[in-house]
Amino acid sequence: MRFTIIGAGRVGLRTARVLREEGHEVTLVERDAETAARARERSFEVIEGDGSREQVLREAGVETADAVGALTSDLNANFAACLIGKGHGCRTVLRIDEDYREGIYQQYADEVDEIVYPERLGAIGARNALLGGSIQAIADVAQSLQILLITITDGSPMRGYTLSEVALPSEARILAFGKADSPLGIPLPDDSLEAGDRVAVLAEFSELAEVRQLLVGDEPATAVAGGE
Amino acid sequence: MAVTAYILVKSNTSEADRVKSTIESLDGVTGTDIVAGDVDFIAKVSVDSPGAVKDIVAGGIQPIDGVETTQTYIAMA
Repeated sequence: MRFTIIGAGRVGLRTARVLREEGHEVTLVERDAETAARARERSFEVIEGDGSREQVLREAGVETADAVGALTSDLNANFAACLIGKGHGCRTVLRIDEDYREGIYQQYADEVDEIVYPERLGAIGARNALLGGSIQAIADVAQSLQILLITITDGSPMRGYTLSEVALPSEARILAFGKADSPLGIPLPDDSLEAGDRVAVLAEFSELAEVRQLLVGDEPATAVAGGE
Repeated sequence: MAVTAYILVKSNTSEADRVKSTIESLDGVTGTDIVAGDVDFIAKVSVDSPGAVKDIVAGGIQPIDGVETTQTYIAMA
């Protein structure tokens, strides 16, 4: 796919790097000459200019892009870039600067398909690092819904059972499964759970304790601190 | 002498509807929009004197729960 990323700073450049590693085509737009030069040193195509201006985004290929990531620290520029991107039929992602704005943009900004708040994602990572253990929160999908990556341990009650035998709480779902040394893939009913295997589970916060009890057992009790 | 002013309001709450309708209920406020960007609302007021603008901002908008800062611009022409 083709992506136009506005902002080549901390957030924009990292996003561009991940997309490029996955084989996508990325063009960056950056206003600051020094920041633009740093991105070029890393072999990125960078258009130097104001990403809230249509002419600049055209130069960056917005007309043929699949999606626009407005990832600068300037909320006005981000919103303008999303308006232009939407006008060209792109999927639009807007970075916000304060968390209370998430709800406001979700409700009112029809031109914005998705909102990212980098500090929130950073907090999930920091929480995982601090808690350690066999459960990792991957994402807060919604206010009460979380995706967890659970590593099966020797003490897991479900070790030795197959996925079809795992009786999760009613609203929880197994999204992906991976053997100890393989990447995650589509979960199959006959996959058996051994120590070191990983299971991605989507669950309501209210059911997290039950999911943990089932797949991890009693350790580590503090790792499911879900919620905000 | 009629005075028109624009009040830019930055909030710290996601309850945008509540703040907007509270601002709109104030005497002298002729309209309020929720806006994208660094501020969250822009209100337009139309009153008899510059003093009345100050009364709306200090006495009406700033005390609203969830309002953080305001900037006032008096229209000249």
